[in-house]
Amino acid sequence: MRTCFLLTIICLLTGCGKPQFENRAQFAELEPYAQEYVQKVLDAHFGTPTEMVVWDRLPLEPHDATGTVVSAADREVKLELTEPHQDILPGTELFWKVKGEEGEPATSQSVWIREWNEETHTAILEGNVTALPVENDQVILGPGAVLSRGRMLYAEHCQHCHGVSGDGAGPTSPYMNPKPRDYRLGLFKFTSTQGPFRAQRADLARVLELGIPGTYMPSFKLLTEREMNSLVEYVLWLSMRGETEYLMVKFLSDSYSTTAVKERVASGKEKKNDGAEEYETYSSIRQEFIDAVNDEDEIPAELQMFSELIASRWSDSQETSAVVTPSEVHKEYTEESIANGRKLYLSDALKCVSCHGEAGYGNGPQTWSITKDLDTGKDNPAPGLYDAWGNPLKPRNLHTGIFRGGRRPIDLYARLHAGIKGTPMPAFGGKLKDEELWDLVNYIYSVPFTEDVAGAGKVAEAQAAESSEVEPATSPEPATVPEKAAANVQAEESDTEVVVNN
Amino acid sequence: MKWFWCFFFMFWPILALLVCWIAPGYGWWFPSAAASQLGSRIDDLFYMILIITTITFVGTQFALGYVLFTGAQSSEEGSTRKVWFSHGSHELEVIWSIVPAFVLLFISLYQLDVWAEYRVKDAFPKAKMLGVLDRIEQKRNSKDSIALAEVTARQFEWRIRYPGFDQEGHLLPLMLEPQPTDLYSVNDLHLPANAPVMINLRTIDVQHSFFLPELRIKQDAVPGLIIPIWFEANHEATYSLLCAELCGWGHYKMKANFVAESEQEFVAYLKQLQKEQNYDGVATSEETSDE
Repeated sequence: MRTCFLLTIICLLTGCGKPQFENRAQFAELEPYAQEYVQKVLDAHFGTPTEMVVWDRLPLEPHDATGTVVSAADREVKLELTEPHQDILPGTELFWKVKGEEGEPATSQSVWIREWNEETHTAILEGNVTALPVENDQVILGPGAVLSRGRMLYAEHCQHCHGVSGDGAGPTSPYMNPKPRDYRLGLFKFTSTQGPFRAQRADLARVLELGIPGTYMPSFKLLTEREMNSLVEYVLWLSMRGETEYLMVKFLSDSYSTTAVKERVASGKEKKNDGAEEYETYSSIRQEFIDAVNDEDEIPAELQMFSELIASRWSDSQETSAVVTPSEVHKEYTEESIANGRKLYLSDALKCVSCHGEAGYGNGPQTWSITKDLDTGKDNPAPGLYDAWGNPLKPRNLHTGIFRGGRRPIDLYARLHAGIKGTPMPAFGGKLKDEELWDLVNYIYSVPFTEDVAGAGKVAEAQAAESSEVEPATSPEPATVPEKAAANVQAEESDTEVVVNN
Repeated sequence: MKWFWCFFFMFWPILALLVCWIAPGYGWWFPSAAASQLGSRIDDLFYMILIITTITFVGTQFALGYVLFTGAQSSEEGSTRKVWFSHGSHELEVIWSIVPAFVLLFISLYQLDVWAEYRVKDAFPKAKMLGVLDRIEQKRNSKDSIALAEVTARQFEWRIRYPGFDQEGHLLPLMLEPQPTDLYSVNDLHLPANAPVMINLRTIDVQHSFFLPELRIKQDAVPGLIIPIWFEANHEATYSLLCAELCGWGHYKMKANFVAESEQEFVAYLKQLQKEQNYDGVATSEETSDE
């Protein structure tokens, strides 16, 4: 009700244009016929924000519940549902398909639930029921309800930053640093899964519940579990749509982007001048594209492959085996463990220092070096680090005591073990033993409470190596200047907490 | 036409009285009865001011009506009544300066003790607050803060820092600076009910306002300041915590729960937070170290 009211007001103020998905920038670089094809594919499999389509190849859970009929009599239907399912509220639609007479297509039937008994899984139906499902019929409760609920909630809470198509370019996003997440690569930074896997539903729900401190993502703790699940499912749907678009556009731009076609035509002209009989022209390339689209083994096969890739990536990530699970318990937070962690932090093998800096202020040499693009491996245009979305990235200042992905030991462990997806933060899972990872975790916990100063790292390392002391003894004289420098670094960080003495 | 204006100006005070009369029945009034003793005293102040302003408003409106009515009568044909030229009357000027001045002076003196109790640190019910800290067995010395939580407002959420437990499981006092043992939560403030408790309020970005409508508590969070606030919930219940200062585009999202619960439940909640915060992903592990 409130959402409807809000949307109405927004419509009245901005004009009632229907929301539309926007395409990524590379889409516009395709030849018009290729654009038309990609658009048709997206429309057919995902629809528009207001007329959503669920592609059944993708591992989504768009319905409140699915199941089979155990018994149906009068107005009472007993069901067996696949678990887990969403809460069934009065007014939920019960949908099933009736096989047509011979030669006729199946027709779909709907009835509405008046009362639902969760214990016996029995529904009492609403009003005059003209048809009833029979035993063993496959039924859907609330067809698409999760996604459509998710869409309304997304429009109310998320869209103004994350954008209609989940591109992280909503109207409030230009004022933000860091930028809102662009879902369309399917990458999420703070996950509990191992490096090659996508995020779990629980990871997204956790981010919604707790927010991301140090960024503009607030906590949505007051949403109900049902609302939270709906939002997560809608975000997954947007991600999969974005990934499909990304993979298709990337695949087609090799041969059918405006520049690629120009080059092909130019070389075709050369061939023609050389006297060749077969050469490529604009119209032949267009014809080739049309043939490829109509040939089951070419572009449609690629599309099939992409959808399978997306589906398997997401469904594999939902397995328990995808989760980072330490084999040893969190090591006790002792000075010895912290000192070991510091040694590892400073070691050449792990290269923590190259980004996070010797003192952990996030000012390592990589922040002013030319780095490689994560995707293409080419040099980045300007010095500094970049994430997979092409945004400049600051290595975390470990002194703030703010942990974006959560402050539990398992959160820090997972960051170290699996890296942070879409960023240069590498995975140390295979490289280090569990014990060493826990030492590093303990060291990271200790950093906000130590007074290491920038530049004291080498001294500390030497001391740590000699006497295995944790705290580097910093004399007051050299401390004065670097402390100021450190304060400047802190002031630049947007997530620095202001410390005030009352 | 002149009779229309007479009735027009009479209509509003009557409507105002009527609306005030029926408002509580329709739920157009306060968000529930005040859930704290200070809150009901604040409500009393509100009602007192409401009564004073109602008398003034209705009185002036009826005076206006009377003037219009007699003026209208004396402009009737054949009327021999003369108007009274009151402009520059020294007595009237003195009366309507002195009377409101006394009313304002009265209000300012009358509300002093409520204001002091809510805002002046020395007037806080410190003994009762210490009683709570004793009962939940906080390990403290006399100089430690009596605040039980630090609430940090930020665009657009409430982040809460509680003191943690030491190795033996005793609750520690809240320090000004974050401690390794501190416990954190977001948009979910738990505190003991039925006794005054204090929190420290701060903001890390713009101005926000800490608003507990049911408890009638409202306090701006000002960048650079740590502001102590105390309140006492009368019942164990979940109240809403809102931001009452337009703090940016996401102001409407800045909602949280304030859960007032028994002292045992509060300690149990902190223990639960500690357990969750120490979760290391190993299913079989019991509570690990104090970190």
